[in-house]
Amino acid sequence: MTSAGNWIKSAGLGLGALVALAAHPASAQGTLTVLCGVQEEWCKAIAVAFEKKTGTAVAMSRKSAGEALAQIRAESANPKTDVWWGAPGDPHLQAAEEGLTLPYESPQQADLQPWALSQHKQSQGRSVGIYAGALGFVYNVELLAKRKINAPKCWADLLRPEFKDEIQMANPNASGTAYTALATLVQVLGEDGAFDYLKKLNDNVNQYTKSGSAPSAAVARSETLVGIVFMHDGINQKINGFPVDVSAPCEGTGYEIGSVSIIKGTKNLDAAKAFYEFALSPEGQATGAETKQFQMPSNRKSATPPEAPKLEAIRLIDYNFQKYGTAEERKRLLSRWDADIKAVAK
Amino acid sequence: MRPRSAVWLALGWVGFALLPWFAGSGTQPALAPPSPGPAGSALIDGLTNGRWWLLPVALPLLLALAVTALPGLRARQPAVLLAGGAFGLAWVAAQGFAIGLDGWAWGWLAALFGPLPLGQGGYGAGAALTALSFLFLMTNGFAGLGFMKGDRFTAGAIGLVLAAIAAFVFLPVGYVLSGAGDTGTGGFSAAALWTRLAAPDIWRLSCLTEAKSCGVVWNSVFLAVMTGIATTLLGLAFALVAVRTGFRAKKLLRVLTVLPIITPPFVISLAVILLFGRNGTVTLGLAEWFGIPVSRWIYGLPGVLLTQTLAFTPISFLVMIGVVQGIGPSLEEAAQTLRASRWVTFRTVTWPLMRPGVANAFLISFIESLADFGNPLILGGNFEVLSTKIYFAVVGAQNDPGRAAALGIILLCLCLGAFWVQRQWLGKKSYATVGGKGDNGIPSQLPRGVKIAAYATALPWAAFTFVLYGLILFGGFTENWGRNNSLTLRHYLAAFDLSWGPSGLIWSGRAWGSLFTTIEVAALSAPLTAAVGLLTAYLLVRQRFAGRGAFEFLTMLSFAIPGTVIGISYILAFNQPPIELTGTITILIICFVFRNMPVSIRAGVAAMSQIDRSLDECSLTLGAGSVQTIRRVILPLLRPAIVASLVYSFVRAITSISAVIFLVSPKYELATAYIVGRVEQGDFGLAIAYSSALIVLMSVVIALIQFAVGERRIGRRTATPVTLQEKPV
Amino acid sequence: MSIASKAAGVEFRNVSRRYGNTAAVDDVSFTIEAGTLVTLLGPSGCGKTTTLRMIAGLEMASGGTILIGGKDVTRLPATDRNVTMVFQSYALFPHMTVADNVAYGLVVSGVRKRDAAARAAEGLELVGLGGYGQRLPSELSGGQQQRVAVARALVLEPEVLLFDEPLSNLDAKLRRKMRDDIRELQQKLGLTSVYVTHDQEEALAVSDRIIVMNKSVIAQTGTPDELYRRPKNRFVADFIGGANLLDGELVARGGGTATVALGRLTLSVPDTGLPAGEVLLAIRPNAIRLRPGTVGDGSGDGIPVTVRKATYLGSHMEYGLVSEFGDLFVVDPNVANPVPAGAAALATFTGDGIAAVAR
Repeated sequence: MTSAGNWIKSAGLGLGALVALAAHPASAQGTLTVLCGVQEEWCKAIAVAFEKKTGTAVAMSRKSAGEALAQIRAESANPKTDVWWGAPGDPHLQAAEEGLTLPYESPQQADLQPWALSQHKQSQGRSVGIYAGALGFVYNVELLAKRKINAPKCWADLLRPEFKDEIQMANPNASGTAYTALATLVQVLGEDGAFDYLKKLNDNVNQYTKSGSAPSAAVARSETLVGIVFMHDGINQKINGFPVDVSAPCEGTGYEIGSVSIIKGTKNLDAAKAFYEFALSPEGQATGAETKQFQMPSNRKSATPPEAPKLEAIRLIDYNFQKYGTAEERKRLLSRWDADIKAVAK
Repeated sequence: MRPRSAVWLALGWVGFALLPWFAGSGTQPALAPPSPGPAGSALIDGLTNGRWWLLPVALPLLLALAVTALPGLRARQPAVLLAGGAFGLAWVAAQGFAIGLDGWAWGWLAALFGPLPLGQGGYGAGAALTALSFLFLMTNGFAGLGFMKGDRFTAGAIGLVLAAIAAFVFLPVGYVLSGAGDTGTGGFSAAALWTRLAAPDIWRLSCLTEAKSCGVVWNSVFLAVMTGIATTLLGLAFALVAVRTGFRAKKLLRVLTVLPIITPPFVISLAVILLFGRNGTVTLGLAEWFGIPVSRWIYGLPGVLLTQTLAFTPISFLVMIGVVQGIGPSLEEAAQTLRASRWVTFRTVTWPLMRPGVANAFLISFIESLADFGNPLILGGNFEVLSTKIYFAVVGAQNDPGRAAALGIILLCLCLGAFWVQRQWLGKKSYATVGGKGDNGIPSQLPRGVKIAAYATALPWAAFTFVLYGLILFGGFTENWGRNNSLTLRHYLAAFDLSWGPSGLIWSGRAWGSLFTTIEVAALSAPLTAAVGLLTAYLLVRQRFAGRGAFEFLTMLSFAIPGTVIGISYILAFNQPPIELTGTITILIICFVFRNMPVSIRAGVAAMSQIDRSLDECSLTLGAGSVQTIRRVILPLLRPAIVASLVYSFVRAITSISAVIFLVSPKYELATAYIVGRVEQGDFGLAIAYSSALIVLMSVVIALIQFAVGERRIGRRTATPVTLQEKPV
Repeated sequence: MSIASKAAGVEFRNVSRRYGNTAAVDDVSFTIEAGTLVTLLGPSGCGKTTTLRMIAGLEMASGGTILIGGKDVTRLPATDRNVTMVFQSYALFPHMTVADNVAYGLVVSGVRKRDAAARAAEGLELVGLGGYGQRLPSELSGGQQQRVAVARALVLEPEVLLFDEPLSNLDAKLRRKMRDDIRELQQKLGLTSVYVTHDQEEALAVSDRIIVMNKSVIAQTGTPDELYRRPKNRFVADFIGGANLLDGELVARGGGTATVALGRLTLSVPDTGLPAGEVLLAIRPNAIRLRPGTVGDGSGDGIPVTVRKATYLGSHMEYGLVSEFGDLFVVDPNVANPVPAGAAALATFTGDGIAAVAR
């Protein structure tokens, strides 16, 4: 008679070993886990620079703002992430509102631009701005020239008939970029005016994309004429050699404050703080320009890349992050958008 | 049976008294201050740290010890093991779920017993081992009472598979179901559930009456039906060409069947954009030569339908070729000797015999289409389907997991409904035309009209498929597809660059990290999948036990659950104690094992059904136990099935996306999740380069495995090749 | 070291095997003496194979007790019983050589490889296949495969050796030889063997005792001779040896014989304890002789019949007859003077080969 249990035993031990593996979660001491909300190249660059500087290993994962917030929220009982770096200030404010992030005062605050500090203030100290990017239009120069259409300069231009089926913007239900656009329009045109505008715009929109930067890529690939995007995304395509250019709407435009937050319950608080400081330092912010990312850095001592859209030259609205960052307002606007616009989309 | 139970009992004691009970406590001293998480074994922690609820675990262990050690009580051993094991399991589970990180996990417990000053972390090695020990003590008790022919192995294996399915399929799905009724404050309300399930944007039919878009369910169902019809017809055409015509390049068709299995799910979408996008090669060519105006028709239903048809036709072909081959030629010859013409024979004999196969192929494509995530994500445009809607309900700006759960339930119901219909349909039809006797007839050629139709459908489509794949491989080498087609290695270098640093080789390419993780996960999950799958197949084919039908249904359940739903459910279920797995590589492995297990089971069942049952019975009467029988008789004869399930689970772990997109973490990023990110950013070059590298890698792996395994030498008994069933991503 | 026997007896006490509501074996009891060959005989679906599999431990009894060598094995799995089996399909492992097949049981029981190989060689020698060890089963003929299966079962020196329709895949000539070989081996080694077959001729040829099963229960148990001569019921009479079944009336008993009236004819049959009254006469085909032509009034020693069909089979004639009691089937050794079809004749009954069973 032979050991009938051997097989089950090994299967069982295998299962046990699996569970034992789980005993070493990703947030193990020594490695800093960072969710990154900007372009992947930049994520990698700042991780490498930080590692070089401090010797702390960084596990970096690029996640869209929504994915990142979903993950942080899902993990809130037992966070596995230490820092959330990049992505618009909106979701950071949301995380702050839900108490998912830690208040922190950086000694470098004196060096920061006022908009960066206003993010800090509105989040009760739970996040701070690291870069700013204005909303604008990206358009395909070649196609415009071929069709002899003038480049769009104002929100109103987008309603012109020659742009029929030639505009792309992201779905605000999926993308933070598009939500910024929605909130901007509401602030520029008033809520009813904004929805009236969006309804008319809907005739010219060929697709509501899922990712905020997808319209830039589509314009670059000549899939569409115009996209409503963050201008730095458009510039990024231009640098990559595509025939595109960007413009800022004349009626005024909103902007995002790319932010950084420390996750509440981090098991690597010291390293997280070090990363936070690094992200605010000119050295850390320089990694953006190095990887052809042209947002405005928040530290006044940082060099602004020459290609970056000059915020001074853009008519920025006084974007009410406080109001449009709340979950309630967001849900209300998005539901209205879903009902009024998405339902009639092609 | 005593020694075996004693081993498990000893392991149970080890888990209870020696190993750290909680996860993450391995390096902490056993007497650490009472805090959630770090502590020693359950015994020490329970005695010194105030976690008194751990101590009752000792009770069944003591009981089992008594009946095992005291000769006077041995007669009662099976019953006591059964009861003790069941109690132990129940207690371990109950205390784990009832007491969370900060005390009582459920409000009513706090209301009943008052607040609990301290909580606990997730199960660790000790808890896992003890639970396993209880499970096997229980099944040994079962066997001792004469169930399962008294076979401890069978009882234990059934217990293990059931427990695993309960923990990794039922538990997460249960979380999804309750999540759909979440009120946002942690409560559950039927009204909230109803509101979500009945939302107008899911069900509205306004596209029929006015110029509005229809509910997402109708979109999904319409797409799935269209895809089902298209793939079934194409699959049928391919099968007829392959079996019933003198077509020479049949090997090529075989290659075609492998392609979708080794293709990351969204790659076809990319290639289609590059061809038919507004700036696509074909679009521009048509515009230039024929003046056909460029348009964006590819984004939306047409594009998704096209890509899904491309992706799922080979599966339909696999199903249909089995059916077409299975039609005994002598039936048709009989019809012809009865004066039926070729066409009449085809219409009255061949076609009716194929009908069940057609239904089968249709339903598989239908379900695949419902569950498909990658193609609608990239090509969907404004055409929304359930799978993408679920994704954006979680990650989108609305951030409503409850809504995602509700959509998940609807998707699950659609899939299960389709499965149910399929079972009803096929259960009543017998299309077994292959008897034990050899059929000496010669397959009749197709009637001329059918033949031309089959050729005209299959060949252009096959050519189209191969062109697409050629493009994918070529596209990775172009500077900027469509704009600048000069050749470059830029994308490959960006992904797979190597450089020499002071400390040696540096994997400086951006793809290495995710590639290594992917291969690691695939390599770990493949053997586990094959083992669990074949074990289950063995139980299904070779063992008769009460509830076998229900057991089979349970094992197939995870096949019917769309990947997106699985992903959400895993996040909901395994992020907090007692089972805490998010952010680990374990959750990826487990996810793959239970996603791919059904295919492994099918391969095993098919192969094992061909092995005469008397072989293992004979082995049993010759004194070999179940384990030795499996090892010495069944496994050697199952080699093709083992290879098939190993290859399949390995490859699927590399190409899956929908389930794992929620489960990847910074430390464990997978190739597909990375590529989808690149596509979303519009970085097609890198995405295509990475995808082609994966396709080549997997082809090489498959070829190597086939080469290494070679042919079996067992004389006249040859097993027919196991056909793989493609599983939606 | 040679292959010996550890023969043990088998006992079934009220054993049943139920699948849901249907019983495959219903409350069956019997005893098999050590060292004997007992056949389980019956039509397909009678429960004989299930009974055999319960001895092997491949099926678990739903009720009752099974003893082997006096030990209760009812709950013991097949692995732990010292019982081996020769399967209908032989069940040779196709991926192992003949020698490995035969040595398999020894190897898995922990016998050292060399000893196992030696014993296997010995086993093959015993069945006349010495020198075939390195072949694959697929390279052997059907009869040789059968012998390998027997050798494989033998080398474990089982307490009971089971045969499940072992000859059904062989042609008629080979079947006869194999059945003699099996019987010879069993007697030489003194094995306890249980043999399942649906072929009554095979059963009669090899068995010490036969257990006839029908519809999940035992119809009758006895030596081949007892079953043939004194069937207890219509089923056994018909199943073993075949019989013409005619309605008769038992009129008297005494001195070990019973007198049965068949029309005006009276016949003597062995007394099986049936009470007087209506009975069924089971008349073996070879217990009837034909006399050509009608003789007198037909009273006294025969009944008048008409030959419906006459078939010449070399060693004997087969007749189909029509009589007032119904159709009769007759095997007559008289080939010298056959009665042609259509002719009238007188059928007489020899003393042997007639039995009375309950109606």
